Amino acid sequence: MIETSGTSTEAMLTAQPRSRNRTIRRHTGLLFVLPAVTFTTIFFILPLLMTIWMSLHNWPLLGQSTFIGFENYSSLTSDRQFWSSLGFTIRYTLLITPPIFVLAFVLALLVNLPLRWIGIFRTAYFIPVVIGLGASSLLWVWLLNDRVGAINTLLRQANIIEGSLIWLGSIDTAIFAIIVSVTWKTVGFTMVLLLTGMQAIPQEIYQAAMVDGASFLGRLRFITLPLLRSTIALALVLSVIGSFLAFDQFYIMTRGGPRNQTITAVYWIFNNSFTYFKMGYGSALSIVLLGILVILSMLQLRLLRRDVG
Amino acid sequence: MKYLFRHARLVSVLVLILATFALSLPSSAQEPVTVQFWSRDSAATLVQSLADAYNATHDNQVEVTLIPAAEYITKLGTAIAAGEPPDLLAIDLIYVPQFAAADQLTEISDLASQLPFFDTLSPSHIRLATYEDGLYALPFNAEASVLLYNRDLFRQAGLDPEQPPTTWQEIYDDAVAISALGEDIDGFYFSGACAGCNAFTFLPLIWASGGDVLSEDGSEATLTDPAVKAALEFYHQMWAEGLIPETSQTDTGAEFLSAIFSGNVAMLGSGAFSISTIKNEHPEIDFGITFLPGQEGGVSSFAGGDSIGIPSGSAHPQEAFDFIEWALSDEVQLEMYAATASLPVRTDLVQNKYFDEDPRLQTSAEAMAFGRTPYSLVYNQLFNDANGPWLAMIQQAVFDGEIDEAIAAAQEQFTEIIEGQ
Amino acid sequence: MNIISSPTIQTKRVRPTISKSLLYILCIILAIVFLFPITWSIITSFKPPAEAAAIPPTGLPSYISWENYQKFNGFGDGAGRYLFNSVSVAIMTVAGTVILSTLAGYGFSRFDFPVKNLLFLMILTTLMIPFQMILTPLFLILGALGLQNTLPGLALVYITFQLPFGVFIMRNSFDTVPRELEEAALLDGCSSVSLLYRVMLPIVLPGVITAGIYAFLNSWNEFLAALIFMNHQNMFTFPILLNSVNYGLYGAVDWGALQAGVTISILPSILIFLLFQRYYMQGLTGGSVKA
Repeated sequence: MIETSGTSTEAMLTAQPRSRNRTIRRHTGLLFVLPAVTFTTIFFILPLLMTIWMSLHNWPLLGQSTFIGFENYSSLTSDRQFWSSLGFTIRYTLLITPPIFVLAFVLALLVNLPLRWIGIFRTAYFIPVVIGLGASSLLWVWLLNDRVGAINTLLRQANIIEGSLIWLGSIDTAIFAIIVSVTWKTVGFTMVLLLTGMQAIPQEIYQAAMVDGASFLGRLRFITLPLLRSTIALALVLSVIGSFLAFDQFYIMTRGGPRNQTITAVYWIFNNSFTYFKMGYGSALSIVLLGILVILSMLQLRLLRRDVG
Repeated sequence: MKYLFRHARLVSVLVLILATFALSLPSSAQEPVTVQFWSRDSAATLVQSLADAYNATHDNQVEVTLIPAAEYITKLGTAIAAGEPPDLLAIDLIYVPQFAAADQLTEISDLASQLPFFDTLSPSHIRLATYEDGLYALPFNAEASVLLYNRDLFRQAGLDPEQPPTTWQEIYDDAVAISALGEDIDGFYFSGACAGCNAFTFLPLIWASGGDVLSEDGSEATLTDPAVKAALEFYHQMWAEGLIPETSQTDTGAEFLSAIFSGNVAMLGSGAFSISTIKNEHPEIDFGITFLPGQEGGVSSFAGGDSIGIPSGSAHPQEAFDFIEWALSDEVQLEMYAATASLPVRTDLVQNKYFDEDPRLQTSAEAMAFGRTPYSLVYNQLFNDANGPWLAMIQQAVFDGEIDEAIAAAQEQFTEIIEGQ
Repeated sequence: MNIISSPTIQTKRVRPTISKSLLYILCIILAIVFLFPITWSIITSFKPPAEAAAIPPTGLPSYISWENYQKFNGFGDGAGRYLFNSVSVAIMTVAGTVILSTLAGYGFSRFDFPVKNLLFLMILTTLMIPFQMILTPLFLILGALGLQNTLPGLALVYITFQLPFGVFIMRNSFDTVPRELEEAALLDGCSSVSLLYRVMLPIVLPGVITAGIYAFLNSWNEFLAALIFMNHQNMFTFPILLNSVNYGLYGAVDWGALQAGVTISILPSILIFLLFQRYYMQGLTGGSVKA
């Protein structure tokens, strides 16, 4: 326990030189943040440095590790699966971001309306966000199943399909199905971010525009969207990084199939470190992915900063 | 008071330390221990009943942990790396070389050779359990891949259920005849997204036709063998003509028995374990068992199953071996294995009263005797990995029809993996 | 049920006639789309197993059955064991996150000390570098500490990755507390710790709750780290158990039991969210929490 009661009050009351009080308060402050800093050091900074160190080794899960310099990095350049995983991850990110944003924007507009009970609808659209991606993936595997799943049955009843569609059987329908499921799960999050941004826009601006006879679309185009730019940028950073690190949904729903076409970058790292037991190589992959992510975030943050400035 | 209190604390700390020491001392021989035993969940029934029977009759107890089969190697590897191996483990026989080579299994050559029945143990298991002249595991349960067929559907299609197919052409013809029975009825089935299942059921088709995918010592990939291409063409043709249900495309091996349970699938490759499962769960299904044939005849089988070994870090190696010895004894092999339709792992017990009653078990046992098993230190990465080259080849060839490309890609990746080991 | 306080003046934008009922219809349709998967899963979990596995799926259950839950309970060491695992990890994560974040938030908000900004930045960086990147060495570190395969080990990792958010929220919370209050308390003879505990904590309680909810949800729902760190079956957390059920036993997936598991897994999250909605949303809007 940190026990400073005597000294600090005494210091205050006896009007000691301020500097002594300061020194004590300085150390007290350090003590308060020390636990959090220790945790971050042991479970974040240390493993981060170790990742770099391990990436320079042949580091099998079982057995001795040997230093091999940059060999992991050079073999990475000819690792076709890594590049195709990276390509797939980018493709997935590009494909899923627009639907999330368009839908989230529409939903945000809708739930921003001053209707009675609109709060209930907001909550309803948001609920999938709080359940786990693992649970939601298992839920969707079942919904999409060609025999016991509800989706094929509904589509059959609506005469949209005949027979059964094996959603996860081919790459295109699999990506489509996963995008639908992940959008369902995450769109509420982006919706609320956008909604917060919308509510921060002063109503006077809208009123002035309406006086000038601006249409709904005109207000959207010239007021809402420009003033939401920084919110959108923030939501974009969060969403893009989330998609870039996708793992759960592919591990559970497609297991990387069909034909290894849905192995994401994180999935490939997981495979190398914990299925092939090549932890050094897995670390090298992590470092490369990390580099890409840092560049991506910086680009997006620049977008954000330009906007703020 | 305060003084006394302080003493009390000191004393209690001392007592605690002493107690800890006493507990951590090596336990005396009479003290019963609990042996932590890991197995994949596909062997759940047998493993659990063995453990129960053992625990009921022994002071030492065996505690079973079941791990999903598809995650077994990952879980085992990480547990060992974390310094927490089980005391005893059942492991797919094909992984024994890999774990023996990584120094993770206790050599048991001396103990094993003293077993009176050592020479009767399943030869495939023993071959795979041998690494650089040392023996690292013993057979635990045996599996052999066979062709399972629905006799009712054969009858309905006007086929003789006593005459199951003996060539690929006959499989194809029968599948055509049966698929014609109706929209929901399919002639053939395989788990199209399951890597391990297709090593088990598809490789024998290649072997029975005189081909192979690895050289004898596992040092070279031979997927360019014409039998590989022929087998892929055979599957692709059945797929393209709709003789295989579409749902097989995404079956990760989690659902293949559902296909049989539904009664709408006529033929699929499977193992002896499915005999008892079907008999228990769906006794109404009349099914037969025959050997997996080659292109123009001939038969083969994948001799699989689990080996049982003692991890290097086992806390109770002696007690663990005691369980192994018990499990391999005549009585257990007959009354717990054969009686519950599990294949005994001793060739001298394959002929027994239980198997005499069911010719299907007899067929499986015979298949085990002539079955083959690839020997490779990178088996997991080559064949069993859901994201490995083996499954990718089968999917590309069978579902997409790109047979030559699929073989070329797999040959290259096999070679890369083997050379990189 | 309001997530965020409703805007007031925009009323004029909606013509209160047909368009209003159309909007309601749209809202309702969307709500059905969003709630259907969850509702359907819950309904199916109460079907008799034969109906839950029916091809094609049947409608409402013919009677309410607990059998799927009983069958789900038959996996591994029983559902109770995994609930215990998940709940204990969640409790440890929440407690750890709340305590560490409150202390650090207080320290960062109220004290000056050397390398303060550097340390704050260091903790926030954790937010930018995803934990997926450092799982491999984390695995080794937990092993070296003997925490591999233990519930506290997993909780320690979760706490670390909750810290940036928690510390950020708590620092902002403390920033909103007027300094005069603190100085008055100090003059009354309060120590730093009791000042924090007696005077400040009640004021920043909303921030504490926000940090706690996020810690709970993230730990309860997390999949990848638990998949890697927990390799003994009796140490699995709930999401990992569910995944094993989906692998199927004896070549057949028990769909009814799986949905029973999914239901058990999602209900606590939804309940916690509905109960503490306001605090949850305050977390989303950057943690400028007002009491």
